[in-house]
Amino acid sequence: MKTNHKLILALTCAAGLLASSGEALAINWLKMQGTEPPGTSGRARVWGFIQPEYQQTDGTKLQAGPWKGQNAAFNMSRPDLKSDSGFNLIRARIGVRGTGFPLDSDVNYFFLAEFGNNGITHQGGGSVKLTDASVTLNEIKGARIRVGTFKTPGSEEALMAIHVFNYVNFSNGTNQLLLERYFNGDGSSAKTSLASINKPNGPVSAFRDTGIQVFDWFTIGNWEHTYALMVGNGNGITRNDNDGNREVYAYWASELLFTGATPFPSGSHLAPPSWSADHQGPRGVRYQSLKLYGWYQGGKRTLTTAGDGAGVYDRTRQGVGFTLLRGKVRAGAEYFVAKGMIFNGTDGGAVAGSHNNAKTAFADFNVTTNGEANSWYLDFGYLIHPKLELDIRYDTLNRDTNISKAERKFDTLTLGAQYFFNKKSRLIVNYEMRNASAPNLPGSAAPNKILDGMDNRVSAQLLIIF
Amino acid sequence: MTSIKLKAFAVYAVLFISLFGFATSSMAEKVFAEHKVVLQISDPNPFKQKLVLNVAHNILKYYGPDLVDVEIVAFGPGLRLLFKNNVYKTRIQSLVDSGVRFSACSNTIKNMTKKLGHAPALNPNAVRVDAGVVRILKLTKEGYTLIKP
Repeated sequence: MKTNHKLILALTCAAGLLASSGEALAINWLKMQGTEPPGTSGRARVWGFIQPEYQQTDGTKLQAGPWKGQNAAFNMSRPDLKSDSGFNLIRARIGVRGTGFPLDSDVNYFFLAEFGNNGITHQGGGSVKLTDASVTLNEIKGARIRVGTFKTPGSEEALMAIHVFNYVNFSNGTNQLLLERYFNGDGSSAKTSLASINKPNGPVSAFRDTGIQVFDWFTIGNWEHTYALMVGNGNGITRNDNDGNREVYAYWASELLFTGATPFPSGSHLAPPSWSADHQGPRGVRYQSLKLYGWYQGGKRTLTTAGDGAGVYDRTRQGVGFTLLRGKVRAGAEYFVAKGMIFNGTDGGAVAGSHNNAKTAFADFNVTTNGEANSWYLDFGYLIHPKLELDIRYDTLNRDTNISKAERKFDTLTLGAQYFFNKKSRLIVNYEMRNASAPNLPGSAAPNKILDGMDNRVSAQLLIIF
Repeated sequence: MTSIKLKAFAVYAVLFISLFGFATSSMAEKVFAEHKVVLQISDPNPFKQKLVLNVAHNILKYYGPDLVDVEIVAFGPGLRLLFKNNVYKTRIQSLVDSGVRFSACSNTIKNMTKKLGHAPALNPNAVRVDAGVVRILKLTKEGYTLIKP
């Protein structure tokens, strides 16, 4: 027996360094966010990420309307809307996840809190908000049950982990139709006092809800099929239900796993948010596949402000899309439609709370209660270097297509680059060429003059995952 | 002469049967192995599970499956590697196909049974041994090199 101890020691070290020969796991967002790797997950694993960013527009003022000459909300930096440029700590999240009782992989949990300055923390008071707190029961084969507050099954842009999102800002459709703002009124009445303006009554949805979800995935040959059915309050995060109406969610994805292909490299630079810690191999958060998916969300919203649209209204969203990751190419597209409650910006494009020039009313937020809208995007990324990916996305949103004068069209072409420092950190630089119009109104009409003032936007965002 | 031949045959048969019996009792061991390694997994750190499998894989890859004998002994929190639903079950099967043996500590199983209220479901490739540590001591006495990644 001539066992070479040094050699074995070297092999041991090499194994540690090359701890990348991970499982050929079929990873999807529902699995990553809602479950833990059986038999390996710990009692509690702390993780999180920080995303400081810089955004800038030309700061073009409103070109027409009652607030002419004042700041245009769409040219101001989120979420404060007080400057057209500046640095912001848009996200700083820390969470814990695991199995609690490691001997039993059938029960796991997920907990995450937001410390950054964004639509989650900006509204509703307080500087920290709980975004996720859920328990998953994996006892029933084919029907895992997740209960609590968590991301709802739906659009790819919304469902994917935000820290591995490929752009700084969401597409127009995702931002306006899916990232729900909650109001007590529709903003239809003129507001003569600042205290009475219609404004969000708490955090944005963050694409999350509180409820119960049944889901699982099945592998048939090279295909992995995933389903999810969920019932929730339809009231986002940090709130209980407010009206007794339930939101229903449905999701299906069929994903062709390209066997034998080398994993897509750029995604491997970012450790995935869940199964990652134990499986941060070359497959990473992305792996070679073609995914086809469809989703539905439907429910009702209740407005309570008398004289400002009080009533119960439908809100439905549904869409289809695909993602492709192969070789150096990353591509995706999605089309979705909306009916009922649709976020409709602010009066005259002004920053909410601004007094009009005549000093007769304050700008507030508006919601169309019976609107229709559609949106789609095309997204393409190409890895030109192991550490550098170039991205391009075109997205469009047609809002209130059933109300001629109120219809607005938004389209944006985004050019981007992602530089991966390592598996845990990345820099994104984006340049957005933004356009908007009121297609059924003459070019000289005030809405079109206002929208002509929508600036292009440059942004840079740094990410570190810990 | 016939009697002598019969005696010689009987002795030969006994020897053959003894050898054959010995061979079958340890047939999982590789008779042509020039190196023998026992890997210990007893750590609760999930990363150690991947690490021990990687080490086994790399040893097999370097020496060749026929020239190295590898046994992974799991006990304590490390026994989770051999749970039936462990995420690495396909890798474990792959290593088993290459001749790697997996031993599960019975003492640990008993303790886990008390905590769970039922016996943990084990990977079918896991072979129960009385005690993981005793198994390691036995193997090292037989010339195996102990590695604890």
